Amino acid sequence: MKAINLEKIKNRIKTYFSNPANCMLVFFFCVFLGLSIYPITAMIKEMFVVHAGIEKTLITAKKGSFTLYHVQKLFIPSEWSVTSFYIPFKNSFLLGLFGAILAIIFGGVTAWLMTRSNLVHKKIIGTLFMFPYLMPAWTLAQFWIYLFQNSNVMSGNKGIMQSLFGICMPQWFVYGLFPCVIVNSLHFAPFAYILIGGILQNMDATLEESAQILKANRLRIVRKVTLPIVMPALLSTFLLVFSSGFASYAVPVFLGGAVRFYTLASKMKAMINAGYMGQAYIIAAVMILCGIIILMINQKYTNKRRSFTTVTGKSGQVSLVNLKKANRPISIAMIILTVCFSVVPLIVFALQTIQRVPGDYSVSNWTLDFWIGKDLDAYKMGMVGGILVGQDFLMALLRLVLLSLACSAFAGTAGLFIGYSVVRNRRTRLSKMVEAMSFFPYLIPTIAFAAIYLALASTKTFSFLYNSFALLVLVGGVKYLPFASRGCINSMLQVSSEIEEAAILMNVPWYKRIFRILVPIQKTSIFSGYLLPIVSAMREVDLFALIVANSRYMLTTMLLAFNQTGYDQYASAITLLIIVIVLVINQVSSKLTGASISQSVGSYNKQ
Amino acid sequence: MPRIELINITKRWGDFFGVKNLNMVIEDRDFVSLLGPSGCGKTTTLRMIAGLETPTEGIIKIGDKVVFDSEKGVNLSPDKRDVGFIFQNYALWPHMTVYENIAFGLESMKWDKKEIDKRVKEMLALMKIEEFEKRYPSEISGGQQQRVAIARTLAIKPQVLLMDEPLSNLDAKLRLEMRTELKRLHADTDSTFVYVTHDQLEAMTLSTKICLMKEGTIQQYAPPLKVYNEPNNLYVADFVGNPSMNFVNGRIEKSGDKYEVSLLGYKAEFVPNEEVQGIDGDVTVGFRPEFMKIAEDGKISATVYSTLPSGLETTIKLKIGEEIISSVVFGASDYVTDEELRCNIAGSNVCVFDKDGQKVAMGQLIIR
Repeated sequence: MKAINLEKIKNRIKTYFSNPANCMLVFFFCVFLGLSIYPITAMIKEMFVVHAGIEKTLITAKKGSFTLYHVQKLFIPSEWSVTSFYIPFKNSFLLGLFGAILAIIFGGVTAWLMTRSNLVHKKIIGTLFMFPYLMPAWTLAQFWIYLFQNSNVMSGNKGIMQSLFGICMPQWFVYGLFPCVIVNSLHFAPFAYILIGGILQNMDATLEESAQILKANRLRIVRKVTLPIVMPALLSTFLLVFSSGFASYAVPVFLGGAVRFYTLASKMKAMINAGYMGQAYIIAAVMILCGIIILMINQKYTNKRRSFTTVTGKSGQVSLVNLKKANRPISIAMIILTVCFSVVPLIVFALQTIQRVPGDYSVSNWTLDFWIGKDLDAYKMGMVGGILVGQDFLMALLRLVLLSLACSAFAGTAGLFIGYSVVRNRRTRLSKMVEAMSFFPYLIPTIAFAAIYLALASTKTFSFLYNSFALLVLVGGVKYLPFASRGCINSMLQVSSEIEEAAILMNVPWYKRIFRILVPIQKTSIFSGYLLPIVSAMREVDLFALIVANSRYMLTTMLLAFNQTGYDQYASAITLLIIVIVLVINQVSSKLTGASISQSVGSYNKQ
Repeated sequence: MPRIELINITKRWGDFFGVKNLNMVIEDRDFVSLLGPSGCGKTTTLRMIAGLETPTEGIIKIGDKVVFDSEKGVNLSPDKRDVGFIFQNYALWPHMTVYENIAFGLESMKWDKKEIDKRVKEMLALMKIEEFEKRYPSEISGGQQQRVAIARTLAIKPQVLLMDEPLSNLDAKLRLEMRTELKRLHADTDSTFVYVTHDQLEAMTLSTKICLMKEGTIQQYAPPLKVYNEPNNLYVADFVGNPSMNFVNGRIEKSGDKYEVSLLGYKAEFVPNEEVQGIDGDVTVGFRPEFMKIAEDGKISATVYSTLPSGLETTIKLKIGEEIISSVVFGASDYVTDEELRCNIAGSNVCVFDKDGQKVAMGQLIIR
C-alpha cells in the first residue's frame, strides 16, 4: 500500500515539474521568500542588538548583545523620541496626505479634461504634463529653491524671484512642509493623471450617456455615476501616491534640511549617519508596516461586491463635453502651468550651470567653466575642472547607465518569466502568492528597502555584497520588479492560451514558445517592462544614496554630494544631463517601439 | 404622440461619411428597425436621434419639436429630447443596486420619494424582476440585466424608445424569449420604438417597418414583408432571408411582346407582373429558395449536392449545371447525396436585377 502511494506522489511531483511554468513559479516563490523574508529577519535582528560606535558607548554593553534600548529610546515619550520619531512621523504623514490630495486633484482634473472634454492643444499639454514625473522629484525641489531662495531666509543666496522681480517669500514658503507638499504633488500629479486618465478612458462612456438620457444634469452625473465608479481606482491611486510621499527622502532633504524639517526617511538616514543603527532600522520597520497597512486597506476596498466590473460590450464613441468659451482660457492656463514645471526648470538648471557666482543672473557672470573649464580653484571640490573634463564624471555617468541597464535587464526579464508562470497557473494559490510577493517591494519605502539590503550585506553570509555593484543591481532590480511583473502579467493575460497550446501540440520547447510566439505578440508592453526600470534607476537617489559609500561612484550620488556642499553649478549640470537623458530615452523608445513611460505606469492599474 | 423626422441628415468624420443625406419619417407608434451590417451607420443614426451624436448637417424633429437643426444651430441635449435609450451593453451602473438603477431617472426628475417607490415597484413587476431589487448588476444574469435596463428606461415614460442591438449579448434561447417580450412591450406601451440590429430575422419578426442601410445610405425603407418579397435591389434581396435568395446570371431578349430568358442552361419565358420597359441583355435573376419547388414533372433536372434538415423544414442544395441553388421544403425530408431530381421555379416573385444591381422587374418564369 505504502509503496503505491509513494509512487503516486512521485509521479505527481514529476508531472507538476514537467511543466516549465510550474518550475518557474516554484523558483520565483523560493527566490522571493529569500529576498523578502531573509532580509526582513536580518533587519528585525538589527533592531534589538547593540552596534559598534556610539551605541556601544551609550548602552555600555558588548557589541551584538540583545537590547531593548533602541525601542525604548525611540518610542517612550521624551524630547529625543519627539524630535526623532513622532515629529518626523507626523511630517511624513502630512506630506503623504496633502501631497496625494493635491496630486489627485491636479492629475484628476487634467485627466478629465484630456479624456472627457474637447480641450484644445491636448497633445502638447499631455506631453508637457508628463515631464515632472520623468524628472527626478528632487529636481523640482532644487528648482523651487533656485526660484524662491532669498536673502531673508537661511543661506541668504538670491533666487530668481528676488534677482529678477525683487520678490522675497517667507521662510515657510521656501523651506519645510509646504514646498515639500507642492513639489511632491507636482511630481506625482502625472502619475495620478495616467492612472485616472486610464480609468476614464476604459470606463464605458455609455454609463454616463445613459445617465444623461435619464435626465441627470452634468453635476449629478459626475457625482452619482462617474465618481463612484472610479472611486476604488481613485482610492488606490491615492494610496500609491500617499505611500510614495510618506516615504519620500530626497525632497525633504533638499527642502527641509536647512530648517531641520525631517521625515521618517530623512531621519532614518540621519540616524544611520550618526551611528544610531538600531533606531534607524526601527524607523524602517515602521515605514514597512505602514506600507503593508496601506496595501491591506487598498485590497479590502477594491474587493467589494460593487467594485468596478466592466460589463461586456464596446465602449462606444465618447461624446466630449463642450467647454465652449472656457476652452481656450483653460487650455492656455494649462499650458502656462505645465511649461512652468517642465521647460522652465530645464532653462533654470541650464542657467545655473553657467553662473560664476551662484544667484547672479547677469550676463557678465556667465561662464562655461563648470562644463569645460580647467583648474577651477575655488569650485574644484576634488574635480579637475568642468564636469566634461576629466574622468570622474564620465565614469560616474557610465556606472549609472550600466546600473540602469542591469537593473532593467534583471527586473524586465524576471518580470517576463513571472508574468508567464503566474498567468499560466492562474487561480492556483501559489500563483496568487507569487503575484502578491512580486508587488511587495513597491510597498516598502525606498529608503527602508535600501536599509534592508544594507542590513543583509552586513551579515557574514552576504558580506561579499557589501559595497558592490552586484548589490546595487540586486536592490534596483528587485525594487523595480513590481512594475515589470505587473506589466507582463497584464500582457500575458491578453494572449489566449490557445496560441501557446497550438505550439505545445507541435512539440515546440517552452523557451521557443516564449521567445518566438509570446514575446513578439506583446513586444510593446514587454518592452515597457524594461523601460520603466531604466528610467527609474537613472533618476533614483533614495535607493542608492544609502548603499553607495563613495559619493563619486555614481552620478546621482555625486549630485547629492555637490548639492550638500553647495556646488550648485555642478549639481545643476548633472541634474540637467539626467533629465535630458531620461527624456531622450522616453522619446526614442516611444518613437521606435511605441512603449513609453505613460504606458508602463498605465499598465499598473489594469488588474 | 411623437413622430420622428430626419431631414437630410449627414454625419461626417473628416472625409468619411458615417451617414449620408438620410431622409426618413418614423410614424407614431411605429416599430422601426435600422438594419444593416456593422459600420453601415445604423447606430450612428440612432445616437443622432438621441442627441448623443451631433450630425454634421440636417434637421431632426421629434413630435412637433425641432431637436436638431444645423442651420439654425439648434441642438437639444439628450435629457431634453424625451427619449429612452437601451444600450447594447445595457450600461447598468455597477455601483448601484437594481432598485437604485431604476430609480435614478425618476430622482433626476425630482419625483416624490413615494411616487418613485411606486413606479419602481411597478417596473420591477412589469419586467418580472422583483426578487433582484437589492442585487448589484454583476450579481444577476445577462437576461436579467437586460430587463433591468429596459425597466430603467421605461420608468421615466419616454415617448420614444431607442434600442441599440439590445439582444445581441444574449444567448439564442433567451433572445427568442426577449423578442416576444419586446413586441408585447411595444403593444402595451403605446410608444414609438426605433431598434438597431444586424440580425435580419430580428428585424423581420419585430418591426412594423425595416430601414435597410448600407454605407450610410438607405437601401429600402418598407414593411418587413415588402422588403422580403419586393427588394429594391440586389443588396437588399441578398441581406434579407435565410437561406438567402438564389441569384443566377441570365440573358433577356425581347421578342415581340414576350421576354425570352436563358438561364441555368434552360430557355424560359418571363412574364412581368407589371408593364416594364427596356429590360434587355445581361441580368441577374433572383428567386427565393421556397420558390424552387421539387416536383416530378419539373422542367429542370438537378442533382442533390447536400441536404440540411432542421426538422421543421429542410434546405436542399441542388446542383444545376455548375450552379448551386437552394431549395426549402416544409417538413423533414431526406435526400440521398447525388440523387437526381426534377424541379421548377414557381410563383410570381422572381426578381430581375440589372447590371448595377437595381431591380427592374418582377414576375413569373415559365421554363420551357
